[in-house]
Amino acid sequence: MKINMKINNKPVTIDVDPMKRLLDILREDLHLTGAKESCGEGECGSCTILLDGNPVTSCILNAIHAENREILTVEGIAQTKAGKLLIDCFDETNAVQCGFCFPGFMVSSYHYLMYDGEPNLDKIKHALAGNICRCTGYQKIFRSLYLACERWQKR
Amino acid sequence: MSSVRKIDAIGKLDGSRQFLDDYSYPDMLHGYIYYSQKDHAIIKSISFPKNFDFSQFVIVFAKDIPGKNIVPEPEQDQLFLAVYEATYYGQPIMGIAHKDKNILQQFVKGIKVEYDELKATTDIKECLENEKNHFGRELTIDHHQESEIAPDWIRQKHVYYTPHQEQAYLEPQGMIAKYDPETKSMFIKGTCQCPYFVKDAVETILGKTVQEVVVETSEGIGGAFGGKEDFPNVIAGITALLSFKSGKAVKIVLDRSDDIQITTKRHPARIEIETFTDPETKEIKKLDIDYRLDAGAFQTLSPVVLSRGVLHSYGGYNIPDVFVQGRLMHSNTPPNGAFRGFGAPQAFSAIEAHIDRIAHKMNQDPYQFRKNNLLRKGDEFPTTQKITEDHLFDCLERAVEISSYQDKLKDFAFWNKKHDNKKGIGIAIGYHGGGYTGNGEKILNSEIKIVIEKDATVKIYVINTDMGQGAHTTLAQMFAEAIGHPFSKTIVQIPNTKKSPDSGPTVASRTIYIIGNLLKKTALALKKEIGFSSLEKYVKENPAEFPKEIHNHFKQDPMVIFDEETYQGIAYKDYSWGVCITEIFFHAETYQIELIKSWNVFDVGRVVNEKIAVGQAEGGILQGLGYGTTEFFYKPGFGRMHGFTDYAMPTTLDLPEMIVEFIHTDETLAKGLGEIPMNFPAASVRNAFHNATGIFIDEYPLTPENVFKNLKSTD
Ligand code: FES
Ligand code: FES
Repeated sequence: MKINMKINNKPVTIDVDPMKRLLDILREDLHLTGAKESCGEGECGSCTILLDGNPVTSCILNAIHAENREILTVEGIAQTKAGKLLIDCFDETNAVQCGFCFPGFMVSSYHYLMYDGEPNLDKIKHALAGNICRCTGYQKIFRSLYLACERWQKR
Repeated sequence: MSSVRKIDAIGKLDGSRQFLDDYSYPDMLHGYIYYSQKDHAIIKSISFPKNFDFSQFVIVFAKDIPGKNIVPEPEQDQLFLAVYEATYYGQPIMGIAHKDKNILQQFVKGIKVEYDELKATTDIKECLENEKNHFGRELTIDHHQESEIAPDWIRQKHVYYTPHQEQAYLEPQGMIAKYDPETKSMFIKGTCQCPYFVKDAVETILGKTVQEVVVETSEGIGGAFGGKEDFPNVIAGITALLSFKSGKAVKIVLDRSDDIQITTKRHPARIEIETFTDPETKEIKKLDIDYRLDAGAFQTLSPVVLSRGVLHSYGGYNIPDVFVQGRLMHSNTPPNGAFRGFGAPQAFSAIEAHIDRIAHKMNQDPYQFRKNNLLRKGDEFPTTQKITEDHLFDCLERAVEISSYQDKLKDFAFWNKKHDNKKGIGIAIGYHGGGYTGNGEKILNSEIKIVIEKDATVKIYVINTDMGQGAHTTLAQMFAEAIGHPFSKTIVQIPNTKKSPDSGPTVASRTIYIIGNLLKKTALALKKEIGFSSLEKYVKENPAEFPKEIHNHFKQDPMVIFDEETYQGIAYKDYSWGVCITEIFFHAETYQIELIKSWNVFDVGRVVNEKIAVGQAEGGILQGLGYGTTEFFYKPGFGRMHGFTDYAMPTTLDLPEMIVEFIHTDETLAKGLGEIPMNFPAASVRNAFHNATGIFIDEYPLTPENVFKNLKSTD
């Protein structure tokens, strides 16, 4: 089946099984390997992308869910002003460890920065509650996003 | 130069850095490891689904192995692929590959195996309590003094249980094998901690049929924590076998549910502790420990975990009379393996719980009692090793100070009288030996290679992997700082067995401690030998001397002598010390333990990159807190966990505020840091719960169900 969508601001048409997982389409058909598979059941957030601006776990969605929708992946976010700011803040604090969870944290953080952006620890914790990280103990991730929020407001 | 930024962070943030599943090769097949669905059974027959083009599949069984069907491990008792009998649920039976992942999945679903079930031990307690059930190996540390037990000494004997813990690295395990029939060479790309172990495994399973095996890691290794120390050997072996048979590249990446069910975990433990304490002096006079680990169906590397476990079992106390016995028990569950701490978190979860029991009996607060019995400079471990520094004491004093421990003890006692919910604060202390146990580092004889290029780029070749701990940044930093070279021009190369010498496995908190310090030493020697003020300038002025290749070996201090028979001598040359104090809030209605704040003070010697070090510690502490409160793998009546939905590890909403402080950071030696943060948090929570409620729980984790059960039984 032909599916039309917009990915990282570019229109894309692909011919795939409509039940193929969205995550596999991104990674295999479109070679966007930023989103990662860790749990495969919507629990960990490693595969998070923005679908029409909302964070979703692409491992439990199918191709058909993307029909005529707009997708933003970590690769797209990294090109934006806010994405670059986030990268710099995560980098500055040495927050990144193994990094497997980070594409997901990038997407959730970007969403928070765009739709709320208040430097507020409690809100940040809730905004990232769908993302699991096994390496860092989260504190540096909170701090980095907090820092990004402050800098984004001052911009 | 401290806290330079990590070299690999940007690529991990923008999604460009490649992890194993991000690689693919032309014509590559996808592989699957088919495993036993029974705990213990004879495999009677296997039938494959009919409606597939069978010629498109590659299938390998034990009989297809041209080399040996034995995974190289400290104890060589594990098979790559089961033969006739499966001894645990999860034991690999065959490898299957096909070019289409979906067809492969459907095919696998249609496979039917007929089993004849045999008697199996899967219950952890049943495994650990049955004394007959052990593998035959016994370790003892006998530091008995022939002194009499005084009649007024208080005897206390208790049993402590710790559960399985899943490493839950976010990147599942996986391997790619690419066989070239023309050159008879096998290339392996993997997410692993120990590429030379993997090389050994592939050479073992393929035998003389291949001429060369090269193992390289993926750019990114998505966490490991010990989980990618030995199990990658099994996956690599099976992947290589599939590639060898098909002549094509084969990739196996486990899905989460398979990964959780078939790979190694932290050993469950049963630790029985008996002490005699003098009520007058409040000194522990005699300590007896029976330390048992559930090794699983095979011993594999469990003997080494047992060894570290017993050497950490007596804790940081000065006790004149100590006897420890360690044993490995058998069960029909996947072989347990390495996980951050390697036998020590079990040990401290037990001894630190027991210490609080004694303190309570002696009517002394847990801090005072610890101080009263603490291992101080000049004292000896039961292995007769002398303690040369008072850093455990310093950690304790500092942690008590920054947590306002003593004020909180008083405040909480007062507050708790008036409330149903309870506040508590708990303390746990100890140490972690750096590097391989005993004579291990001498035997490893780790080698490093450095190449200084014509453009003054320094390339560091070591086999130690960066699985997130920041090792490649810190190693480069240690060399660069010592020689006075720009960090940006000092680069640790992706580990590859053809290019990187065997600098030993990436385990045992040894990468910075052994390899980092060796790099530093090499840099200083080089600087002295050539006598330059700037390497860059020197290279420019003397181009004929470059590229230059330098090799060096780690030489263990000859004073480090350990008797592997009697367990006497120097078990570890250097120890890191640590203290964890945790404050909790107990919700009486939901039986929930809320983690409020955790103060952690460590002496790990010199801290090379503070931000990296703090991040390592925070991650370890949270894993330790998860170990103490929510994580387990089997549940009687429920069976095993299947994925992240039922395996409960901490999320962003579960963590307390974590405070990390390093002391004595001006020492010249950087000691082990990776594991020690994991050792104490579980016990600190358990002790905080006692402080809050007056109830001792001797079985981890302290889930609401477990708390409920304990509260009811004391009613
Ligand atoms: S992989 Fe999609 S949520 Fe974990
Ligand atoms: S950095 Fe490894 S899981 Fe988050």
